[in-house]
Amino acid sequence: MFCDGFGMSEVSPLQQSAPWVRLETTDADWDAADPGLLATMFAELVLIRSFEEFVLQLAGEGLIHGPAHSSIGQEGGAVGSALPLVTQDTVNGTHRGHHQFLAKVLTHLAPGGIDPTQPVSPEIREALLRTLAEICGLDRGWSHGRGGSMHLRWDEAGAIGTNAIVGGGVPLAAGSAWAHRHAGTDNVAVTYFGDGASNIGSTLETFNLAAAWRLPLCFFIENNRYAVSTNVSEVTAEDRLSARGPGFGIPSWQVDGMDPLAVYLAMQQALEYMRAGKGATLIEADVYRYFHQNGPFPGSAFRYRTKEEEAQWRARDPIDRVAGHLVRRGILSEDAITEAIDRSRALMAEIGEVLLEPVPDGKPGERRIRPSEWPDPGFVDTGIRGDLSEFDGVRTVDRDTFTGAVQEMKFIDAVAAVMGRRMELDSSVVVLGEDIHRLSGGTNGATKGLKDAHPDRILGTPISENAFTGLAGGMAMDGRFRPVVEFMYADFMWVAADQLFNQIGKARHMFGGDHPVPVVLRSKVAMGTGYGSQHSMDPAGVFSTSAGWRIVAPSTPFDYVGLMNAALTCQDPVLVLEHVDLYASSGEGPVDDYDYCLPVGKAAVRRQGADVTVLTYLAMTSYVLEAAEQVADHIDAEVIDLRWLDRASIDWDTIEASIRKTNNVLIAEQGALGTGYGGWLADEIQRRYFDWLDQPVQRVTGGMASPSISKVLERAAFARAEEAVAGLEAMGVGTDA
Amino acid sequence: MPELLRMPEVAAGATSALLSSWSVPVDAEYASGSVIAVIETDKAVVDMEAEAPGRILRTLVAEGTEVAVGDPIAVTAAPGEQVDDLDAAVAALGAASTAAPAAPASEPDVSPSPAAPAGSGTPAPPTAAAGSGRIFISPIARKRANEAGIDVTAIVGTGPNGRIRRRDVEAAIAAGGTRPAASPSAPAATATPSATEPGFVDIPHTRLRRAIATRLTESVTTAPHFYVKGSARVDRLMELRAEINAGEDVKVSVNDLLVKAMARAHSLVPAMNVIWTEDHVRQFSGVDIAIAVATDTGLVTPVLRGVEALSVTQIARASRDLAERARSGQLRQHELEGGTTSISNLGMYGTEEFTAIINPPHSSILAVGAARPEPVVVGDSIVPATVLRVILSVDHRPVDGAIAAQWMREFTVLLESPGRILA
Repeated sequence: MFCDGFGMSEVSPLQQSAPWVRLETTDADWDAADPGLLATMFAELVLIRSFEEFVLQLAGEGLIHGPAHSSIGQEGGAVGSALPLVTQDTVNGTHRGHHQFLAKVLTHLAPGGIDPTQPVSPEIREALLRTLAEICGLDRGWSHGRGGSMHLRWDEAGAIGTNAIVGGGVPLAAGSAWAHRHAGTDNVAVTYFGDGASNIGSTLETFNLAAAWRLPLCFFIENNRYAVSTNVSEVTAEDRLSARGPGFGIPSWQVDGMDPLAVYLAMQQALEYMRAGKGATLIEADVYRYFHQNGPFPGSAFRYRTKEEEAQWRARDPIDRVAGHLVRRGILSEDAITEAIDRSRALMAEIGEVLLEPVPDGKPGERRIRPSEWPDPGFVDTGIRGDLSEFDGVRTVDRDTFTGAVQEMKFIDAVAAVMGRRMELDSSVVVLGEDIHRLSGGTNGATKGLKDAHPDRILGTPISENAFTGLAGGMAMDGRFRPVVEFMYADFMWVAADQLFNQIGKARHMFGGDHPVPVVLRSKVAMGTGYGSQHSMDPAGVFSTSAGWRIVAPSTPFDYVGLMNAALTCQDPVLVLEHVDLYASSGEGPVDDYDYCLPVGKAAVRRQGADVTVLTYLAMTSYVLEAAEQVADHIDAEVIDLRWLDRASIDWDTIEASIRKTNNVLIAEQGALGTGYGGWLADEIQRRYFDWLDQPVQRVTGGMASPSISKVLERAAFARAEEAVAGLEAMGVGTDA
Repeated sequence: MPELLRMPEVAAGATSALLSSWSVPVDAEYASGSVIAVIETDKAVVDMEAEAPGRILRTLVAEGTEVAVGDPIAVTAAPGEQVDDLDAAVAALGAASTAAPAAPASEPDVSPSPAAPAGSGTPAPPTAAAGSGRIFISPIARKRANEAGIDVTAIVGTGPNGRIRRRDVEAAIAAGGTRPAASPSAPAATATPSATEPGFVDIPHTRLRRAIATRLTESVTTAPHFYVKGSARVDRLMELRAEINAGEDVKVSVNDLLVKAMARAHSLVPAMNVIWTEDHVRQFSGVDIAIAVATDTGLVTPVLRGVEALSVTQIARASRDLAERARSGQLRQHELEGGTTSISNLGMYGTEEFTAIINPPHSSILAVGAARPEPVVVGDSIVPATVLRVILSVDHRPVDGAIAAQWMREFTVLLESPGRILA
C-alpha cells in the first residue's frame, strides 16, 4: 500500500492479469525425473559442449571466417527447453544459436532419447557435420555455407533459422506460431533471444502482438547478463527480464538456466498453456556464457567482468549438475560420464577430419579447409529469388489475349474484388494491416466486404509494423499460409525496415536459395493527399535496392487483378504498389474473371512513338500519357508502363526495342529524387544501350525533399503531367514544327 | 610609284581564288576597265578588270596558282612610269623579289610570300569543339556515322555543348555524306591507281567539288533544316504545257512551270521570300530563284531574277541560257549570287522524291521528283492520275513550319490549278 504525503487519495495495489513465477527444482524433482530423460539431457549437453569446444578450437586456428559465438555455459537453457518439444514445434534464435539449433535437431533426430553410453546415430553425426560445415562456410552446410554460425536453419527439424539481427527473428517466430494455430495444430514456436534483445522494438512489439492474438509462442530469454560487454543492469531498470511478460499479459517463468531440469519443467508448464490455445508464454533462464561474445577467451580478459564471477558461474555448470544426479541416482557411473565426454570429443575430432586437412608444407598440426568443401564462387548470387517455376501451368494472359468481358470499373473495387476472389478460392490467403478489418474495408476500401466473408483471415493489427511485417514473413517462410500485408502508408516501410529488408528480402538467399518467402506487401503511395513529409513517399526506389523483392506497379484495374494474382502466385516477396490517385480512378477491368495472372516481367506499351521512350509506372503513367498528348504535335513519345519494376523482373526486351527505335529515354516518376526509382534504371540503361543513346538518360522526378503539408508546396514537390511535359520538351527531340 | 595588285575577294566569303591566266603581257599598257587577268572562283570564271590605266611590271604568281585573297599577284605602274630598279621596288613593297614565276599550287615546294603565310587561305575544318580536338557526339550518332562512313569532324552538333546528335548525322547522310577537306598541304593525289594499293583511285578534288563540299557542309551544319512534303496531280499542268508549247518556238519545260509556280507561291507567302543574316531576316520584294544544273564537273546553281515578272516563255529562254553556260563554264560570278530559294529537279531520272540541301544563303530549296501515274482517291473511287511529289527543305532560322506548310499548300494548289500560275 502506497500513501502519498497528502493522504487524501486511496491507493490500492493492482495485480497483473498474467502470472509471473520463479520455478526451482527440488531433490524430489530430480528423483522423479525419468532416467532416460536425464541421460538424454546429459547426452545432448555433452554433444553440444563438445561441438562448441571444437568450434572454438577451429576459431583459434583461424579456420572460422567471421564470429564464433560460443554458447558454452548456456547449454542448459536450450537443452532443457528443447527436450519437451516435438519435431513440428519450431524454434529460432539469435546470433548465439548453435546450442539452440543443435538441441532442437538432436531432439528431432532422437525423439526417443539418446543413450550417452553409445556412439551417436549416423543421422546425428551427419547433422553435427553439416552444422559444423555451415559454421565454417562450406558447401556441405545447411545453407551451403551462406548462413554460417548465425544463420542455422533446418526446417525439417523445426529449426526455422537463427538470426544475426538482435530481436530480428522474434516476429518471424510469431508468424510460425500463427501458422501452427491457424492450421489447427497444437504445435508451438519458441523464439530464443538474450538480455540484449529484450530491449529492442521488434521483441517488445511481438510480445504485444503474440499476446493479443494468443499465439502459441514462447519467448525464451537466455539472460546471460551481458550484451557483448554491457551488463543487463546498466541498460534496464528491471533486470529480471521475465518481469516484462505480465506487462503484456504473458504468463512468465523465471528459472535457473544452469539447471536444465528446471528449464524443462518450466517449459512443460508453458507448453501446456500454449498447446491449450491460451496464448504466448515467456521463460527467462538465467545463464552464463563462459567466454567473451565471440572467440576462445573469457570475458574477464576484456575486463568487463571478473574471474571470480566467471568461476562462480562455472561452479554451477549444467553438465556437472546433470552428471551428478545421474551418478547419484546410479543411472550412469563416473566412468560412463567420462567416457561419454571423451567419445563426444573424439566424434568432433573425427568430423573435423572430414572438413579439414593438414596445410601442405605447413607447420606441424597446421590445418586448413579441404578445398573441395568450399562452395563454388559461381554460387554467389544463385537463389536470390525463385525460378518462377510456380507459374508453370498457371493461366497467364495480358490485355490483348484476355477473352473475358471487360467493363469500366473503379480501381479500388478491383483491389477488393481480386482479393476476395483469392480468399474465397484459397484458404491460405491472409490479409493483415492496420484498420483493414474496420471502416468498411480499411482506410481506402481495399478490403471491403472481406472481414465479413473471412473473419479469421482479415487481421487488424496493432500499430507495430515491424512485428506484423515480420509475422507475415514468418508465415510466408512457414509456407502453410500466404500473407498479404497492407501498409497504410508507404513511409511505414522504414519502421519495418529490418523485417522487410534484413529478413524477408534476404532470407531465401541467406539460407541457401531454396526456401521461398511468398509474402505480398500492398503499399499505398499517398502523395497529393496533404499527409506531408512522412506519409508521401514512393517506396519503389528503396525496394528496388533489395534484391530479393519483386515489385509490381499496376496502373489500371485490369492490370491490378492480373498483377495481384501473379504476386499471390509468386514464391518470392512481392511489393504491390498502390496509389491514392488510382484508387479513385476508373478504368478497364474484368467483369467476372478475377483468376488470370499477368505475365511476369512484361511491360505495357501504352502509347507508340518514335522520338523518345518514356519509362514510367503506377499513377504517373496516366500523367505521362496526358503529357504525351499535349506535346504530340511535335514530340512523338512512346510511353511504357513498366508494371514490373525490380531488377530481376523488368522487361528489358520491351525497353530495348523502344530505345533502339527512339534513342532517347526519359524515366518519369512522381516521388522525391533521393529515394527515387529511376537511378538504378538509368545506370543500367546507359550501360546496356550506350551505343543506342542520343543523349543522357533523362529523368522526371519530384523535388529533393519529401512533399510538405502545404498544398502549394506539396504540389511543387512531386511530378505530374506538367512536369512530364517539361521533361519531354527539355529533351529537344521530335520535329521543330 | 609601283603598286601591288592583289587578289580580290571575288565572291563574298571566298578565302582564296585561282589565278587562271594573265590577259595582258608584262609591260603592255592597258586602259581602265581592261581585263588584265582571269580568276577562277568556286563556281565561275571572273575577268579581273583594271581600275585605272597602267601596265604590269612583274607578275608575282604563275597562271594556275591558288592565291589567298589579298595576296599580291603582280606589281603594276602607271603608263609611262619609269622604274629603274624593279627588284628594289618590289622589295620595298614587301613582295617576293624573285622575278621567277611562282610555282603552281600543285607543287608542294611553293614559296610563300611574306604577306601570305602558308595555309592562311585554308579555312579550318569545322568541328564541334573548335580548337580542343574533342568532338562531343552522342553514342548513337557516332554509331550511325560510323555505319554510314560519315566523317564526324565535318558536322556541327546542335545538341547541348555542341554535341552532335542523331539528327545531325542523319542530316549529313541526307546531304550525301561529309568528308573532311583534304589537307591543303597534302601532295596532289593522282588518278593513277597505285601499284601497291590497287582497288581504288583517288580522284583529285576539282575546285567545284571542293566548293560544293564546303558550301553544303556549311549549310547542313549552320542552317537547321526541316522538310515539308507535298504532292499534286499535274495532269492539267501537263495539258497546259502542251498548249503553250503548241504555239511557241521556245519549248516550255515542266520545270519552267514549276519555277513560275514557286515565284507565285513566294509572292503569296512573302514570309518565305527571305534569307537569314546574322542580324536580321532579309525579306525581298522580287523573287529570284536558283536553278540547280548538273554539269560534268558538278552542281551549279545560276539564279533567275525577277521571276515573278517573267512569262513562262521568258523563264524557259533564260533557264536554257543559264544552263547552257553553266555546262560550258561560262557563267559570270554575279549570275551565281543572290536568290532566296532554289529548285532541284531529278524527275528526269525517274527519282520519286528526295530531299535537297539548301544553297546558302537561301532559306529553302524545292526538290522535285518525277511526275508519275498513280492511283488517286477521288471521292469514293480510285482514278489514275499523274502525281508529282516535292519536298521543300527549309532553313528554320528565318522560317517556321507553318509558313512552309502554307507555302506548300499554295504551291500544290497552283500546280493543280495551273491557269493561276500564268495569272
